[in-house]
Amino acid sequence: MNKVSSILLALTALMILSAIVALTFGPADIDSSELITCLLGSCQNPIANVVIWQVRIPRVLVAMVAGMGLAIAGAILQNTTRNPLADPYLFGIVSGAGLGATIANITLADNLTIALPLAAFLGALFSVMIVVFIAKVLRSMEQLLLAGVAVSFMLASITQFILYFGEPFATNRVIFWLMGSLARVEMSNFYVIASILVIAIITVIALHRQIDALLLGDESAASLGVDVDKLRLLMLGICAALTATIVAYCGGIGFVGLMIPHIVRQLIGVTTLKLILGSALIGAIFLIWVDVIARSSLPHAEIPIGIITSALGSIFFLFIMYRSRAIS
Amino acid sequence: MSTLLNISQLSWQVQHKSILQNINFNVRKGEVIGIIGPNGAGKTSLLRCLTNQGNILASRNISGSVHLKNRAITQFSAKEIAQHFAVVMQKNDSIFALSVQDVMKMGLLPHKTLFSLDSDHDKAQINLALTKVGLDHALHNDFSLLSGGEQQRVLIARALVQASQVLILDEPTNHLDVYYQHQVLQLVNKLNITVIMTVHDLNLASLYCQRLLLLDQGKLICDGSPEEVLTPDKLSKVFGLPCQQSIDSITGATQVSFYLNEINQKKTRASEPLDE
Repeated sequence: MNKVSSILLALTALMILSAIVALTFGPADIDSSELITCLLGSCQNPIANVVIWQVRIPRVLVAMVAGMGLAIAGAILQNTTRNPLADPYLFGIVSGAGLGATIANITLADNLTIALPLAAFLGALFSVMIVVFIAKVLRSMEQLLLAGVAVSFMLASITQFILYFGEPFATNRVIFWLMGSLARVEMSNFYVIASILVIAIITVIALHRQIDALLLGDESAASLGVDVDKLRLLMLGICAALTATIVAYCGGIGFVGLMIPHIVRQLIGVTTLKLILGSALIGAIFLIWVDVIARSSLPHAEIPIGIITSALGSIFFLFIMYRSRAIS
Repeated sequence: MSTLLNISQLSWQVQHKSILQNINFNVRKGEVIGIIGPNGAGKTSLLRCLTNQGNILASRNISGSVHLKNRAITQFSAKEIAQHFAVVMQKNDSIFALSVQDVMKMGLLPHKTLFSLDSDHDKAQINLALTKVGLDHALHNDFSLLSGGEQQRVLIARALVQASQVLILDEPTNHLDVYYQHQVLQLVNKLNITVIMTVHDLNLASLYCQRLLLLDQGKLICDGSPEEVLTPDKLSKVFGLPCQQSIDSITGATQVSFYLNEINQKKTRASEPLDE
């Protein structure tokens, strides 16, 4: 077995271990022996049973697939645009989702459990369509990221305009949602995110050679028989669907897609297959633990998870810039 | 030798400017062809048409045809074209730290299906190709940290893995020092495949190409052996400088040298009509 497979295997074990250990954290006092009996289906304490199966397991599982999805989306975007700073959040996806969520909150006060994620999803897709349209007009990959930032600001300003004149309760809801949280997730969310994740991973594994060919430039890829525009559009679509679904259920969790692939490149490799699998595993481990910090570091409150990832991410961003300066 | 490529009445017009004008020539199997000419003569444009890059021949501005083995190149899929042509471009830099192995694996792409992984045979092919270019020790090196000459050799090795019949190189000696210029061109010559490349240095072109195509302002001025093409009258017209031909005493190859006696020579060139 080579080095890469052993690292991936170790990470898989670490991810499973993290998920199990993360189940022991939370306001309800459940020790590890009780956890194990409940997981094996012979629970003595009915409260512990409900807490584990209906609160903690869905939450840890959603943290796992959301971390995988965001990290993979970042990895795909970075390799297909050859830009190490590409991140689904910089493509305006969250601003679009925020606008969708705002409109849903203001116009439909009832029935938000279905309407909010759906509106956020539609808003995210809308923003990606604008960014892709601009990229097609400009025909320049270097400017795709800048186009994303511009679209992001535009949609955010519309959102803020609506919130400014909106009803305070609805405004509060949207603002808290944008900070990101896994507090209200359910098992059904896990199934939806996991299915899109599986489709995304299978597509990327199928096309990993094509995506790799892009790494040495569009011309080089085209000479190897790759339809560059079509491939890039397909990958953008997959990233948008993945991120939009996660954002719709979990709110804004920024910078995971930027950070994780960087770590994977140092640890495992830069080509797509290694990058995707490594990002999935490290992304899952990362978000499981960030969520543990979010729900257990303050005694009677939760820290929104997006605040933690953004704080870590912005420092990381500056670190990358510093390092690339040192190299060049 | 059988005809591999046939280029017939190829013209490319953008607004009022002719990028290519009625180009006709055949390429036989195993030939090493150099395309020479001044900047903006249409050398790189011609290369792009040969491989129908980005389905460029479907453009309204381009007329004429390119046939590969008697079949129009426009009827080949992108993957089929990649199985026949390997292209080494001038610009090849990656922001990510690709290893030589990663770059070599790209050459497998035209022969692979979706989901496929690398077999032991693939790895052996990669090692064999790298041995041929003398870089078998560099498999795990960082591609972007190699010298320009080594990068060119890796890309030529990638073309070997691609197992195509025609190797297309755009200015393979650009940015290389004299030693690597000779090394790369000598390597290209020894591969025993059909090679079509643009070359800036006329004396290198003469030394390493069996046949030269002289382009100027989109026209094919001359097509023939180095001693036929590199004549003072043709070159001084095309490059706008007086020129002398000689035979190199060591290699026996035709060599040319330009000298500048009057600076206004270049000015008169543009107004002079060129006879073909």
